[in-house]
Amino acid sequence: MWNYEKRLQHPVKITQTNPQIAQIIITQYGGPDGELGASMRYLSQRYTTPYKEVAGLLTDVGTSVSEMFRLSPPPFPMVFPSA
Amino acid sequence: MNNQPNRREMLNTINELSFSVLDIQLFLDTHPCDEDALAYFQECSNARNQALKEYAQYYGPLTIDTATASCSERWSWINDPWPWQEGGC
Repeated sequence: MWNYEKRLQHPVKITQTNPQIAQIIITQYGGPDGELGASMRYLSQRYTTPYKEVAGLLTDVGTSVSEMFRLSPPPFPMVFPSA
Repeated sequence: MNNQPNRREMLNTINELSFSVLDIQLFLDTHPCDEDALAYFQECSNARNQALKEYAQYYGPLTIDTATASCSERWSWINDPWPWQEGGC
């Protein structure tokens, strides 16, 4: 179900840490409106959709959403390019 | 070791091809009969698999499927940089 690739969807170069922004960003991952919840909802809804095309689409979209976690790997310390 | 390909360039190629595969995959979900899209998917997917294999030979595996391509370095997986470390991607 879940395969790891040792790379990011977009390269990240760590130049400085910013805990304040990290606190804001991390709310986009977890919580009721976060990406994690969205990903789980897509992947759960595909079990009961009556259309197989939609089941396939929900699988791909749910997978793409969870890819976003890997876009910026460790929530602590959150890091951003300085440019 | 002069003819060893540049690590960052190889990773960039893999990233670009992977993005193309992902994007065309989502397009095909809603346009499954688009012949151009199917051909493009096939082209990108093959190129990506090839790039992953080549990368594994020089710098260790990024995926479980390419682990055998570099099996001589027994513990390179944990010694090679992680994506959030310098040198990783």
